[in-house]
Amino acid sequence: MLKQLFILLVFPGFLFLLTSGLLAEFIDRRLYARLQNRQGPPWFQPLADFIKLLGKEDIVPQEADTTVFRLMPLVALSATVAAFFYIPLWGTEAMFSFNGDIIVVLYLLMLPTLCFFLGGWYSRSVFSSIGAVRVLTQLFAYEVPLFICILASSLLANTWSLSGMAAFYSKHPGYWLFNLIGFGIAFISLLGKLEKVPFDIPEAETEIVAGSFTEYSGRLLAFFRLTIDIELIVGTSLLAAVFLPFGFGVGPYIGFVIYILKVLLLVALVSLSRTIFARLRIDQMINLCWKYLAPLAFLQVLLNLIAKGVMVK
Amino acid sequence: MGKLTHIVNWARIKSPWVLHFNTGACNACDIEIIAALTPRYDLERFGVQLKGTPRHADILLCSGPVTRQVECRLKMIYEQMPEPKFVVAVGTCACSGGVFDGCYNVKSGINAAIPVSAYIPGCPASPKAIIDGVVKLLQSLEAEEEKKEK
Ligand code: SF4
Repeated sequence: MLKQLFILLVFPGFLFLLTSGLLAEFIDRRLYARLQNRQGPPWFQPLADFIKLLGKEDIVPQEADTTVFRLMPLVALSATVAAFFYIPLWGTEAMFSFNGDIIVVLYLLMLPTLCFFLGGWYSRSVFSSIGAVRVLTQLFAYEVPLFICILASSLLANTWSLSGMAAFYSKHPGYWLFNLIGFGIAFISLLGKLEKVPFDIPEAETEIVAGSFTEYSGRLLAFFRLTIDIELIVGTSLLAAVFLPFGFGVGPYIGFVIYILKVLLLVALVSLSRTIFARLRIDQMINLCWKYLAPLAFLQVLLNLIAKGVMVK
Repeated sequence: MGKLTHIVNWARIKSPWVLHFNTGACNACDIEIIAALTPRYDLERFGVQLKGTPRHADILLCSGPVTRQVECRLKMIYEQMPEPKFVVAVGTCACSGGVFDGCYNVKSGINAAIPVSAYIPGCPASPKAIIDGVVKLLQSLEAEEEKKEK
């Protein structure tokens, strides 16, 4: 009981996610600043932002639905944290796993996006409504390629659990190379999920103020921001577990270092893409996802089916 | 309790998010504010970020005198900001009405409509002066905090 509580709250649960999420935001912002040839924020910046927002007044607009408005940040945060427990990090075994947990993780990772939509929609302000609609439109564009890619690599491993996939790929080293197309597509979709440039269309502060977060202030905004930071960690961990499945069998300490390196690499890629791309329009984004990413994802499925027929007996 | 407020105040001083609002300036002060926020001056060093919505902002940067038309809007934006909030008047016009003071359509400086925490004179105030003003505001908050401790 005590051990489970420790797992949930401290390591690798909430506290670990909190610190790593804030650290990831710092690395992202610092790298972004360095790439723009400026100094960037000090290391405690995300923490200071978080504490400051916790200490501020939170206003609920008169028009808004109070329950939904207040509940959404907490639901988003808990769903993201819950998804983390099913992802294998530095061993092939996740904290909890069962056959079919891929679906659960993908579903739990979809919940925050849905919460952004509901929170924005029930704020009843013009900007947040537009932001909310964009959140949902974007969700339908990137979610399908992401699902297909992750399912394609589980097809090769012939299992429905993330831990099982990690075990398969560490038993058959080199097989992850089949999933390289899928990795690229999943990374692009992850940018959409995290609402980072070039897919920060729902937040687009130059067009619609702050999208679905326009009416959020104080503690509620702090939880939403924390959700996005933790989503960055959970999303990159998922990609690392599915598409970069090596270094699982080397013991907890080296394994942990390798895991951190993988996540750092992905976070660095996110900030790099944030620097070099500009924001797409929503229709361009949907075109990209449905015309190019989805067919490529199907190509990945085909490739994996052939590979499975030829190589895995 | 004392420790907790100390930490919250530290966070407040380290993370000022600003909102920029033109209350009737000739546009020169706005250009200087925007210039201060560019990578060249890198205000993110101090944790400053430009926000689009009053709900996220801690500091309201106002430029220009308060015209009669903008007065109620300025008050509305001020009221939409969550506590604790501060107002900085950028430019001579914002401080006192400047060259526009006494015009039929102008009320005078920002403090005619809402309380102001810091004044940055200059026509237009240069980016360096704006950064200096914001940092001084933060330092005065810090000093106030220390006085409270004693
Ligand atoms: S202070 Fe000068 S530059 Fe600024 S708004 Fe007034 S007239 Fe324009």
